[in-house]
Amino acid sequence: MQAGEVPKINMSSWEVGESRYLPGMEIKRLGKERFVVYIGPQHPGSGHMRIIIKVDGDVIVEADPDLGYVHRTMEKLSEGRAFIKIIPLVERMAILDACNVTLPYVEAVEKLLGLEPPERAKYLRVALCEINRIASHLYGFGIFGVFLGHSTMYMWGFGDREVLVELAEKLTGARLTHTYPIFGGVRRDAPQNFTDNLRKAIRYLRKRLDEYRKIFLDNPVIRRRLEGVGIVPKKVAVDLGLVGPNLRASGVEYDVRAIEPYEAYDELDFEIPVFEEGDSLARAWVRVEEIKQSLRILEQIADKLDKTKGQQIMHDRFWAKAPPLYKKVFEAEGRVKLMPLFAILRVPKGRSFARTEAARGEITYYVESDGKDKPYRVRIVSPSFRNAIMFKYVIPGHRIADLPAIYGSFDYFPPEADR
Amino acid sequence: MAYLSVWTLTERVISIVFWGIVKLIFWPPIYQFVIIPGLAAAMVVVISIIWFERKAAARVQMRYGPWEVSPRLAGYLQLFADLIRYSFQEIIIPRTVDLMPFLTSPLFALLLSILPLAVIPVSPVKWTWPLTPSAMRYSVLIAAALTTLSPIFIVAMGWASNNRFATIGSMRETFLITAYELSAVIGLFSVVATVHSFDFTKVVAFQGGGKWLGLINPLALLATFIATLISTSAFPFEISDAENEIVAGPFTEYSGLMYGINMGSAYIKRWAMSILIALAFLGGWRPYIPPPNAGYVTGYLIPSLIVTAKAVIVMALMSFLRAVYGRYRIDQALHVSWKYVFALAIAGFGLAILEGYIL
Amino acid sequence: MPAKFVHKKTPKIGVLGAISRNASALVLGLKYFFEPNRFTLMYPREYIVLDKRYRGFIVLNKNKCIGCESCARVCPTGAMKMIKIEVPDPKNPGKKKIAKYPTINHQRCVYCGFCVDICPTEALYHVPVHDVVYFNLADMIQDLESFQKEPVSPAAAEGAIPVKYVFDPERGLVKVRVKEGEKK
Ligand code: SF4
Ligand code: SF4
Repeated sequence: MQAGEVPKINMSSWEVGESRYLPGMEIKRLGKERFVVYIGPQHPGSGHMRIIIKVDGDVIVEADPDLGYVHRTMEKLSEGRAFIKIIPLVERMAILDACNVTLPYVEAVEKLLGLEPPERAKYLRVALCEINRIASHLYGFGIFGVFLGHSTMYMWGFGDREVLVELAEKLTGARLTHTYPIFGGVRRDAPQNFTDNLRKAIRYLRKRLDEYRKIFLDNPVIRRRLEGVGIVPKKVAVDLGLVGPNLRASGVEYDVRAIEPYEAYDELDFEIPVFEEGDSLARAWVRVEEIKQSLRILEQIADKLDKTKGQQIMHDRFWAKAPPLYKKVFEAEGRVKLMPLFAILRVPKGRSFARTEAARGEITYYVESDGKDKPYRVRIVSPSFRNAIMFKYVIPGHRIADLPAIYGSFDYFPPEADR
Repeated sequence: MAYLSVWTLTERVISIVFWGIVKLIFWPPIYQFVIIPGLAAAMVVVISIIWFERKAAARVQMRYGPWEVSPRLAGYLQLFADLIRYSFQEIIIPRTVDLMPFLTSPLFALLLSILPLAVIPVSPVKWTWPLTPSAMRYSVLIAAALTTLSPIFIVAMGWASNNRFATIGSMRETFLITAYELSAVIGLFSVVATVHSFDFTKVVAFQGGGKWLGLINPLALLATFIATLISTSAFPFEISDAENEIVAGPFTEYSGLMYGINMGSAYIKRWAMSILIALAFLGGWRPYIPPPNAGYVTGYLIPSLIVTAKAVIVMALMSFLRAVYGRYRIDQALHVSWKYVFALAIAGFGLAILEGYIL
Repeated sequence: MPAKFVHKKTPKIGVLGAISRNASALVLGLKYFFEPNRFTLMYPREYIVLDKRYRGFIVLNKNKCIGCESCARVCPTGAMKMIKIEVPDPKNPGKKKIAKYPTINHQRCVYCGFCVDICPTEALYHVPVHDVVYFNLADMIQDLESFQKEPVSPAAAEGAIPVKYVFDPERGLVKVRVKEGEKK
């Protein structure tokens, strides 16, 4: 068929002429017993994306993830705005994981500026990162639960997330889009009783994790749905470039917090769970174990915060020359006032790269500045984007009913992938 | 005739009309099919059970469930609001459907799921039986046979919808029918083996004095219970209309009242099965024994209410499972039902034969 | 001390395990059925008394504003815009001068709080209110007058019960009623 020629589609049967289309829109001859099913974008189990599957009976023979439904051109938008304004923008890629996804950007710019945030600021960043990580995993569990028809896990995940959201609100003043880390430090100091509340929340969540296990992970029905489903062998996981808990569930030791510790992670004592099986159950367990470790981190952070009480949380460059009013506000409300120069901050020429371990995996930023007040280029590689490829390779061979089980276990988050 | 005053005449007319109505109401075919445990009771029970299901799940799930519509009744009226909404919603009929089966199968499915209730006794008193005493001897058989009819129409619905999700859903339903029907029937028939009779009245009479068949033969009860869960797509077997996989399965193309009927008929089928379970395993109307020459109330209303109450408890249990379980995959459900439930049913049947021999 | 990788295996359960796990799931479900633990906020019958730190609606204190434009410059969404108005000039009585003040467009604002934090004179501040409702989009674009008014929560204005959540190691969050006196 010539390019540009309109294909003849015989509407009375599903068999259509050979032709080449854009990916995701290709029309191919199907086998006799095959069926194309469009899962999404308006499907209760798809999220903001579409998976085009071809089924043979109940078994999926081909899966084609079709992304981009919530693409917001974040990278391009970044090129037109001042450095500080990019923080609230990129945060919207995964608002439930806001601190983790903005932190590498802030770090990359800090590298260009040659700043190192003060100690207490680092602890506060880690605290919010871990709060976000737990909240994000709970959200993932909630979605996972509802994909498997387990409405209680759904509600529990979302309900208990409220505890963490509340903690984050007490710390930053906003429930979700915290915009918390900023060049040189963080924006708010922890309030008076923050560490007490943190410890209470940790105790509560520890107790709840046991109950999650009872009602969800050890529930025989759920176990049968997950065990041996969507296996990603170690080599495939590496070849496909999966990241985060999904990679660690396949037995690969990779976590940015361990191999390239950022902020205060090298001072903290914690483990990174790695599971061998690589199936959906292992991916669920990795997250549970990670939540446990995050709680452990938060416990240590609480101690550190108590120890460093009253210390500065903004780099001297933006704080030493601050007028008395600023210091007064900081002492009274714990709020760091920004120097007016933030709005027109010029970042020295250069390129920098930073990465952190977000809840769904490694997120990397490449920031290039040409010495102006706007970046020349911001490149974001988000974990969900790297995980999206697995849909094509992991789903075929499974039943239609496994699709939600696999989708949910990968904790795939379309807005984060589409950026 | 002259001494018959106008007053007594009206009195007579009123009394004739009144007793006529009462007779009509308690005429067994009407009473059982339309009132208790038929359509009217089923309606009330289904609405209450859906309310209970939502409230119970909400309690487990850290929330309140329906509340805002009528805070004093704990949101009970929400269900009526939903019903009204369903009734007034536009029914969209896609151009590609096969119209006749598309429109008629929901109604058939509804009617047939309630039909078993028209052939069972809800009281030991002879005149209340909907069938003649000679036909009553086979009531277990007839009721069990009637319960197996409605799934055909669910398959028809999916096929007539001409929608891929509906097709997949009805294929799943087909697989499930073969899987649960046998276990359900065998489980139900194990009471026959113990009692040596196909007569529901005999089955219930056998269970006098706390000798409930469910207690002496829990295997058959469990098999029937699980088979009922599968047949009415209750958790953990909500497979043929699994929302996150195939939208609403066979019901995907239905909207408005038609969808409401479809949702309702699954619950009504669950209700009919619960009544059968209550009669066969939970002692029916026992421990109540109607007095000799019992009237409408003592002979018919009270025993039927006792059966209803037991069935409601069974149904509430089934509904509660929503809060604890997710759903199986279709092949796993088939695995469970052939390997475990079927074995359970056979074991229950064997136990029943043994007990029939001993007792 | 950097983090360690620890290899684990998903726990296995046998047939007996499956039966006991079924039972424990059911028991847990029943436990919560009888003793529910809910955080639900019955809005609008109740409303949360927010912290002072909460990044809620933004209000301008015109007397403190020096018209430095920092707030408009740092705003990431372009919600904050400067307007020019004529005001009496304090130096030359009788004469007018042009003064600049910010106004906010609540359609665009994302409540990041940058403007509040950057204002050198604390002329902008957050009020702990987050549930103001506008009947049309035009109302959301504030002018200088409405920008200076502190919005009130409609639920609070209609006499809803003020509550707040406190952390609890057993129940997560516990809703407690706030008495009149301790609101501020
Ligand atoms: S809070 Fe943020 S978005 Fe809103 S006006 Fe201020 S700077 Fe702009
Ligand atoms: S930053 Fe403050 S002082 Fe400057 S224009 Fe804005 S409100 Fe006025």
